[in-house]
Amino acid sequence: MKRHTTAVVLVALVLLAGCGGKKRPPAVLSDPSQRPSSYPAATATPEPEQPVAEGPDIAAVNSGNPTGEDFSVNDPSGEGGPLEDIHFDYDRAELSDEARATLEKHGLWLQNHRTAKVTVEGHCDERGTVDYNLALGDKRARTVREYLVSLGVAGDRLHTVSLGKERPLDPSSNEQAFAKNRRAHFVVSR
Amino acid sequence: MAFAATAWAWPRTQQQPPPKEIIIGGGGQRFAVPDCIPRAGDEASREACRTLTQVLRADLRFENIQFVPESLFTALPPLNPDNPNYEDWRSVGANFLVVTRAQVTGGELAIETRVFTVDGRQGIMSKRYSGRADNPRSFAHQAADDIMTLVQLRGVARTKIAFTSDRDATKPPRGKELYIVDYDGFNAKRITVNNSLNILPAWSPDGRSLAYTSYRQGGPAIFVARIYEGRSDNITKGDGQAFAPTFSPDGKRLAYASNKSGNMEIWIANADGTGAHRITSSQGSDTAPTWSPTGQEIAFTSDRAGSPQIYLMDSEGLNVRRLTTVGNWNDAPAWNPSKEYSEIAYTSRLEVGGPVTFDIAVIDLATRQVRQVTSGRGSCEYPSWAPNGRHLVFSCKRGNTWQITVSDREGRAIDTLSAGAGNNVQPDWGP
Repeated sequence: MKRHTTAVVLVALVLLAGCGGKKRPPAVLSDPSQRPSSYPAATATPEPEQPVAEGPDIAAVNSGNPTGEDFSVNDPSGEGGPLEDIHFDYDRAELSDEARATLEKHGLWLQNHRTAKVTVEGHCDERGTVDYNLALGDKRARTVREYLVSLGVAGDRLHTVSLGKERPLDPSSNEQAFAKNRRAHFVVSR
Repeated sequence: MAFAATAWAWPRTQQQPPPKEIIIGGGGQRFAVPDCIPRAGDEASREACRTLTQVLRADLRFENIQFVPESLFTALPPLNPDNPNYEDWRSVGANFLVVTRAQVTGGELAIETRVFTVDGRQGIMSKRYSGRADNPRSFAHQAADDIMTLVQLRGVARTKIAFTSDRDATKPPRGKELYIVDYDGFNAKRITVNNSLNILPAWSPDGRSLAYTSYRQGGPAIFVARIYEGRSDNITKGDGQAFAPTFSPDGKRLAYASNKSGNMEIWIANADGTGAHRITSSQGSDTAPTWSPTGQEIAFTSDRAGSPQIYLMDSEGLNVRRLTTVGNWNDAPAWNPSKEYSEIAYTSRLEVGGPVTFDIAVIDLATRQVRQVTSGRGSCEYPSWAPNGRHLVFSCKRGNTWQITVSDREGRAIDTLSAGAGNNVQPDWGP
């Protein structure tokens, strides 16, 4: 029912937006009889059409509310959650010993919470290009997922997302922030 | 009708056909662009005229059209806009005279632009434009593009630039939305409104759609926004994680990067998302595709050889060969869309050591010569070409924020665009 209402609202918004964006095309005022025939006809191009914003989006991200006892669902600030972040070296996707140790704890936690599903987010620091960091974040997330699978976590409970350098935990430009931002973050849901 | 018909009678004495071709630059052809003449004394008409004069001159100057200095006009007798005294304009060194008149009537703006050749002593262009008076800049842009066709140039004054900004991200999680602005930074408009991450916009060749990467449904997927309809479709639904879409020059296909096969590769799909197929296959990550002007080739970034470098292939993924060899980090290629220039702009880390900063470089495809477009401006990345191939747009980090920056092909004239607040990145220059 809720979905149905949403659809109706969306359609209405789209229709409204359509009306708002519609512009009367400007008239071409030139009178050809007033120009020597050798001149090109005046072709006043229409006033540019005005773009309209997209209709509001219904956020589908992690919509299910948690009912579990000891873990919280997706903390949008990216800072909390039951599974702590692991960190990477600059421009690398390999796991350090420390990261492996943390992932082993995460593996145990996942064995004890069998309904939990996890989205592994791969993040990068701001250095380097947008596209490259999206690929690097993808590699980091997939490396973490593979390691958790090797520890016995079912693959279908683990989803990966690369955020590249698009959503840094700390937006400042210093080594401390860079180190914090080179991470895999775990979003838990069920 | 506000205009007296006689005002538009052309001088009848000289009616030779207009010259076929006028070359700018080399011939030292100079334009005189005197102030727009208001057709009525009201403030609205005068204000519109001031804007028209200013924007028209800026548009022509942007394409390196040479001007007669305005200071020389003051010594001339008043201009008769219907029948200019060609000797006056010859005396100040003008080859072309651009006369603009404007009037605002009840919320409507009507302008007339005429171009006279001083050497040929005749009018060669006459246009009238009318429409709503709320954006006189768009009239000047239209007139400028029409004038530039006289010098065989496809102007870009009416083009728009799309980009990503965090300006409206007021609270965590820090969202990014898409915006568009006129090529000169005016008239910013927000396109996406979903408070998620919306990044890497790419125009369709008809200028009516933007393909982009959005996280609004969880993982990154390719969406196509029809910006005049306010509608957006996910075209890679359930198809892995997809980034960095780019339309083929005919608008029928999209190339993008996707990890659907388990590794980041280049994929191609029809513009509606059907027929998706992978065209690269390597151990490394393949990203950032860009089409050649013919649509027969694609350049992309791959780290298959250890560091990110630019590669070329045909548009079905065959005949892959490495393009860049200078520098240990080359990414985000943008193929010059003009067939006049066979070159690719990209982001390059040319100076190794010290802080990690990037510059915009261009490689000539025939000679493989690399020229550096930016230098010492902080870090610059993500170039995109103006549709006529004469300018580049990219984003540079200066101080603590990223701003949209425009440069000519050589990097001689570089300006930061005043595109609004926030970090403004990932520009794409539209048609």
